[in-house]
Amino acid sequence: MLNYGYDEAALRISESANENDVEFRIVLAADDPSIIAGLKRVRQEFDENRVYTDVLFYHYPDHEYKIIVRKDYYVDFVLELMKQRLLQSVEWTADR
Amino acid sequence: MEQQALWAIGIFLVIYAIIISEKIHRTIVAMIGGLIMVVLGIVNQETAIHHIDFNTLGLLIGMMIIVSTTAETGVFKYIAVLAAKKAKGEPVRILVLLSLITAVGSAFLDNVTTVLLMVPVTFSITRQLRVNPVPFLVTQIIASNVGGTATLIGDPPNIMIGSAVKELTFMAFINNLAPVAVVVMAAYVPLFIWLFRKKIQTTDELKRGVMEMNEKNLISDPKLLRKCLTVLGLTLVGFFTHQLFHLESASVALAGAFVLLLLTGEHRMEQAFAKVEWMTIFFFVGLFVLVSGLIETGVIAELAKKAIDLTGGDLVATSLLILWLSAIASAFLDNIPFVATMIPMIQEMGSMGVDNLEPLWWSLALGACLGGNGSLIGASANLIVAGMAGKEGYPIRFVQFLKIGFPLMLLSIVLSSVYIYLRYLI
Repeated sequence: MLNYGYDEAALRISESANENDVEFRIVLAADDPSIIAGLKRVRQEFDENRVYTDVLFYHYPDHEYKIIVRKDYYVDFVLELMKQRLLQSVEWTADR
Repeated sequence: MEQQALWAIGIFLVIYAIIISEKIHRTIVAMIGGLIMVVLGIVNQETAIHHIDFNTLGLLIGMMIIVSTTAETGVFKYIAVLAAKKAKGEPVRILVLLSLITAVGSAFLDNVTTVLLMVPVTFSITRQLRVNPVPFLVTQIIASNVGGTATLIGDPPNIMIGSAVKELTFMAFINNLAPVAVVVMAAYVPLFIWLFRKKIQTTDELKRGVMEMNEKNLISDPKLLRKCLTVLGLTLVGFFTHQLFHLESASVALAGAFVLLLLTGEHRMEQAFAKVEWMTIFFFVGLFVLVSGLIETGVIAELAKKAIDLTGGDLVATSLLILWLSAIASAFLDNIPFVATMIPMIQEMGSMGVDNLEPLWWSLALGACLGGNGSLIGASANLIVAGMAGKEGYPIRFVQFLKIGFPLMLLSIVLSSVYIYLRYLI
């Protein structure tokens, strides 16, 4: 499986599996424009493709985002977070 | 009947059958059919071009540019999430509100564009609530066809009728069709609730999730939104007043589209043009030429004569025949080629002595638009939603839709029959 690391001082990421989806919660520590812009680009990437249920973004107050990711798009989503520099590392662990 | 007329009928029927079979894309089939008419000399190229209704095409292209650019701003997502919050996250209320938004959107933007905007937002809200999106999508299909009935720009059949009959202005469509569309929608809403309320239950926690969403961040470009809403508003004002300025509806829509592109800058032009559904536009082109073969060879005139013979020229009988025939045909055939064939037929009835064509035009519009709800293949909006839903793993089956859509369609045509009779025929 994929393991990822991020700057814990800037954001907090948690995930939970739910039937065919993985639900991410991303909470930003502060109103950091570069992270917000990065998240916006991630959203844009999945909004602009022709699949409507791959990655769905929901924005909450206090810099909180809920993101429902279809299981078959999990890797694409994590890699997109990495591409937009919201993650610092991504690696495959041995059990895969 | 002349040899050329027989050829025209043969080509038309074969092309129509291939369109219905859906084995080959309808645009390719219609264009090839139109070109066969020209190549075989049934109509020459100049006559064929004369029959292409550029008002219909211009109106569609103009509105597609305006709406696709407006969609970029996220305003439609904003409206849908706001509606979900106003409904307090309650799925049944959301279903009703989204179907009403779809109906109003379809009236003023056109129904195909509206469902293209509504389906992604519906997936987003239903996933959040963990409920099946199919009831929401089915009610939106039905609402889009009812809403589209209300105005000249709402549904392709109305665009075609409005374009062919100059006296039928934007306001005339609203005055004559909006009342019946409102009545039909009012009859449908309680039925939607009764049909689906048990199938879309969710938990209080998930409802709270919807209530806590921040919809304001969905507007991605407020500056662009201001420009789009200004132009969209002015374009709608243009539609309401186009007859005062002796402008065709296509001139209004194209003016709106190009003023918007002027305001947004060249960089948006390529994107806006890419979002025009050129396949639909060329489908219309092919059909207009195909039907021109029937017109030029006198087939349509012959059909009109037969229809008048059948009803004895009686206005009540002819109106109701057109209404019910259009509804049943539009339920199972694409309503665009059907209307393309019916328009010259009704015009021909005028030249054969039927004085008051107005009830016939409204009967055709109501039958063709509302008939689209009769089956999943009845209207372009139905096929688009079903295609999008199937691709995302939520197939809407033909029979599943038929069981809901067909009785609802019959109800709407009964209501329309009463309306047509009371308003125009007594």
